[in-house]
Amino acid sequence: MLLRGICDGLKRAPRLAGAIAMAALILSGCSRDAGDRLVITGSSTIAPLVTVIAQAFESAHPGVKIDVQAGGSSRGIADVRQGLAELGMVSRALKPEEGDLAAATIAQDGIAMIVHRDNPVGALTGGQIVAIYTGKVRNWQEVGGPDAPITVVNKAEGRSTLELFLSHFKLDTPAIRADVVIGDNQQGIKTVAGNPQAIGYVSVGTAEFEARRGTPIRLLPLDGVEASTAHVARGDFPLSRPLNLVHRGEPGRVAREFLAFAASPEVHDLVTGQYFVPLAGR
Amino acid sequence: MRIETLDHASRSDRLHARWMGLVAVLTLLVPVLLVGELLADGLPALTTDFLLSAPADAGRSGGIGSVLVSTLWVLAVCLGVVLPLGLGCALFLVEHVRAGSRLERGLQLALDILGGVPSIVFGLFGNRFFAVELGLGFSILSGGLTLACMVLPLFIRAAEQSLRQCPVGYRQAAAALALSRWGFVRRILLPTAAPGIALGVVLASGRALAETAVLLFTAGYVTRWPESWFNSGRTLAVHIYDLAMNVSGGGTNAAATALVLLVLAIGIQVLAAIVGRISKGASQ
Repeated sequence: MLLRGICDGLKRAPRLAGAIAMAALILSGCSRDAGDRLVITGSSTIAPLVTVIAQAFESAHPGVKIDVQAGGSSRGIADVRQGLAELGMVSRALKPEEGDLAAATIAQDGIAMIVHRDNPVGALTGGQIVAIYTGKVRNWQEVGGPDAPITVVNKAEGRSTLELFLSHFKLDTPAIRADVVIGDNQQGIKTVAGNPQAIGYVSVGTAEFEARRGTPIRLLPLDGVEASTAHVARGDFPLSRPLNLVHRGEPGRVAREFLAFAASPEVHDLVTGQYFVPLAGR
Repeated sequence: MRIETLDHASRSDRLHARWMGLVAVLTLLVPVLLVGELLADGLPALTTDFLLSAPADAGRSGGIGSVLVSTLWVLAVCLGVVLPLGLGCALFLVEHVRAGSRLERGLQLALDILGGVPSIVFGLFGNRFFAVELGLGFSILSGGLTLACMVLPLFIRAAEQSLRQCPVGYRQAAAALALSRWGFVRRILLPTAAPGIALGVVLASGRALAETAVLLFTAGYVTRWPESWFNSGRTLAVHIYDLAMNVSGGGTNAAATALVLLVLAIGIQVLAAIVGRISKGASQ
């Protein structure tokens, strides 16, 4: 019995060694393919759009592969600086301290203030929005609404929507008194649609689409300008942002071709298909 | 007097039974509601074409074929690492480490700490270590290996528990028959523990399938058909997250994808149960 056990063990040993050798072979055999590869990381707002543009680019350029990774504008900038990605997706204008990077705008996006459809407040001034977000106004009654507390929905730190909102209203993050902190546009829309007392801000294209589809939200005009993709395209909506692809130094051949393609009129349908505003429409 | 007391007791028993019945029905209601809502939202979009084609228009149209394949690859890498490592570690703990020794306590502590680490920490670690330091980039391999680190403690615990349940009598009988230690492990211990180990596989793959944050940082966001495990590949959970959170009008396809994920998880459970039963049967 003991002998048999040892024999069994010995019989298995080569098989085990064989399996390990096989695994090693497979590992080394699967070397990375040599074709042109472009890595783009960054803003989760732009990622679906760039994915679609990349698919169109790949089918026009066989052999080229474009990997799009989402994770936020800050990550896009960090990855380009570290060389992990050749292009970064950044959904805001570059800051002065980011002068080492060059940006190419591929589309425009506007931010709309949204409330629940049943909220009777028709418009808010910039001052009222600031008062609501800093906690000075806590009841809808004070801005011409019903006697109900205001639920302030804010974006999570690091989101470029938040940065644009803050810089437009000249606010600081510590000054904001938020009841709910959200991450993505869809989450913001779901939060406001589910709470008649809530106020939030999301991408105009997304909000317009959801409102048209029957989601119970309403877009508030800002400084007398209606919040719509048409106004963002015309350039007269105050709260809008560029969707940028940033790079450092001279981009490679594939990256250069991709940048040209992403800024060309060929991608207009793709841009409007993702509820953003194409460039030449301005 | 006594009869009255009895009567009172049985009445309170009945009340209790009803209460518990109600609670049980409420608990059952949760999965029924969940599946019902998914079916109502997602079933219209669920076609053969949906299962076989790659996503288009950021996931609003097209299917999830490539995402499904990436998910299976990531899961295969994860289980391929977790099974041998985890089983080896569990066997070591059960067979070679004296209970209560310093080594045993140290190992158990390490496992408990690893098991309690939030998944996002594994995501950051995986991104830093596998994707950047080892140069694997955003790839199925990075994702699978990171997931393996994450579910390893879970699997070791499950395997260890089932190995420990082997009756002492079997061990004594094996010793009396002069069976080698390895012979005992292979012929008696592993087969009797097989159903429990299979349960560990189910738990591990369930957690791996549910993960989004970890994979967003490691396996990535790419929806192309994977060609090798150095390619980046989006998994089902990441796809659902992206459709629900970043893509306007992606709700229907998110629900349909969630249905597929649910079926996949149940499928693994059934498979594991069958494998466990067969290997247990084979030993008898």
